Amino acid sequence: MNELLEAFRLVLAPDVLIAILLSSIYGLVVGSLPGLSATMATALLVPVTFYLSPIAAVASIIAASAMAIFSGDIPGCLLRIPGTPASAAYTDEAYAMTRNGQAEVALGAGLWFSALGGIAGTISLVVMAPVLAELALNFSTYEYFWLAFLGLMCATLVARSSPVKAIASMLIGLLVACIGMENPGGVPRFTFGVAELLGGIEPIPALVGVFAVSEVIRAIVSPEPPPLPARKFGRILAGQLALTRKYWRQMTRGNVVGIIIGVLPGAGADMAAWVSYAMSKRFSREPKKFGTGHPEGLVEAGASNNASLASGWVPALLFGIPGDTITAIAIGVLYMKGLNPGPTLFTERASSMYALYIIFILANIIMIPLGIMMIRAASSILRAPRAAIMPVILVCCAVGAFATGNNLFAVILVAVFGIIGYVMENNGFPVAAMVLGIVMGTMVEQSFVTSLIKSDGSLLPFFERPVSAVLAAMTISALLWPAFIWSWRRFRLRRQEHAL
Amino acid sequence: MRLSDRVTGSFVATLGVLATYGGSQFPPVPGQDVGPSVFPMVIGIGLILCGLMIALGIGHSYEDEAEADLAAVQGPSQQAEPASPLGSRLWALLPPGLLLFYVYAVDRIGFVPTAALMIFASALAFGARLRVALPLAALAPIAIHLIFYKLLRVPLPPGLLPMPW
Repeated sequence: MNELLEAFRLVLAPDVLIAILLSSIYGLVVGSLPGLSATMATALLVPVTFYLSPIAAVASIIAASAMAIFSGDIPGCLLRIPGTPASAAYTDEAYAMTRNGQAEVALGAGLWFSALGGIAGTISLVVMAPVLAELALNFSTYEYFWLAFLGLMCATLVARSSPVKAIASMLIGLLVACIGMENPGGVPRFTFGVAELLGGIEPIPALVGVFAVSEVIRAIVSPEPPPLPARKFGRILAGQLALTRKYWRQMTRGNVVGIIIGVLPGAGADMAAWVSYAMSKRFSREPKKFGTGHPEGLVEAGASNNASLASGWVPALLFGIPGDTITAIAIGVLYMKGLNPGPTLFTERASSMYALYIIFILANIIMIPLGIMMIRAASSILRAPRAAIMPVILVCCAVGAFATGNNLFAVILVAVFGIIGYVMENNGFPVAAMVLGIVMGTMVEQSFVTSLIKSDGSLLPFFERPVSAVLAAMTISALLWPAFIWSWRRFRLRRQEHAL
Repeated sequence: MRLSDRVTGSFVATLGVLATYGGSQFPPVPGQDVGPSVFPMVIGIGLILCGLMIALGIGHSYEDEAEADLAAVQGPSQQAEPASPLGSRLWALLPPGLLLFYVYAVDRIGFVPTAALMIFASALAFGARLRVALPLAALAPIAIHLIFYKLLRVPLPPGLLPMPW
């Protein structure tokens, strides 16, 4: 009880409240601008968090990412351009509703079910985290190796691309993580005599390059999106209660699916939205209406992507394994702020954990009034010319990367990763998988090599302990899943041909 | 820049060969079988396998599917390639080029002039009019400097144009 009170005291400190408010507004604005994703908003926020207190730093990341995921719905609904990849799944539906004159209902549903989904996700975090922490206390390097590997495999599974290319991107990320001296032998690896590479490649410059600079490059070679026509909105939340009552089943299903996808290491909000939208269509009584401006799928997918956001913190907090790219950034911030992820976070820093829960709930509650304001301001914010935003973002990339270590080499890395990210994305190599590889490389190698040393080079102990056997089975099935789907399709196709 | 699967696949495989070879050259830890060379070699072998599979076009059907999904959402107009591929490819080098310019110039002429030049050049590249680009290049660096230098205490070099704070 004392810890809970302490947690409230931590959250209600003025600097934390200001950080939540400002980063919420920041997240709403950045998320609503097409091409600027929630991950990019978070990555550019990191240098700022260096200078905040631990709780304020984590709070700003939670608030900004939750808001950005919601506000990605706004341009999707009004312009048919998803603001963040997590909104892409139902952009068509929302835009169809706008054309039918139901923009308020579509945006209101996005806002209302995002907030409810976020709260559902938080509840799952509160319930699951302590149970899993108990389990995690018994984990050895074998389990950590499989968990990290499972996270990497999930990241490749959920990438909407060729699984082979996704695995290749992930391996490239792991190879990047090999650079430097931080390895079992303490030998400089792949440094090519460059002194700056001895310390390895920090994830933040790589993230900023891959997610922000490559987006600037993409913007410069593609035509400007159409401007948003000015419009007045009616009451935004009107009718949402009726929708909730009508579609509570879909909402709950969306929440549950979102939570499950979020908890899986490596799979995040984008995937949750795609899966939930497809599921909604599949189980709907009126699947024909999908795509014509029918709120059902919107409810389910909107509830799902925000729920996954909160539950994505479960593996991040307990094992230090990111649930998605946003928590990959958050883990870095946690380490920096002395809140090292791991099961002991609950015993040693219980009040910080409770504070985190409170921040999640708070962020999802203030999302509703701030979101309404954002929707009303959207027509003027979305009219800001791209030619004014992108240059400023480019300078922020440079300054932000520099600020991570007051080192200009980081800016060079940002430029290099910007090109790499742009080329990879254009050729169907999902960059998120590479980023997770970079973030988790050191951990995967450490647990792998330590386990091998413990077992004297034998692979058998990797499968002997019960939990590690289960995790191994999950990982291997994730690896073989695409092949299974492929052969199943071939089999069905052949049967159809035979039937003809 | 869209390359064929054969090109990207061979590139990935070559990277794998280099990683495997480079990995095998690292000195072992005395008295241990498992050292710093194991992990790069495992990755390298994985990259070789993936590269070969990509070059052979395995798994390509997934990509077409995802693309069809995305095209259904965003509409084909978004996918349209710009008219001159070579010209647009050169434009793509501008943002990283400006970042390298930042690295080169910031210690010599200071943060505010460097950022102003960067913003001016990229705003023009995005097709902004001088009416927008000039005030933006004049004001935005000062605002960024205020936030990062004053509030966040990042040591940005003053150079030719030190700020009063």
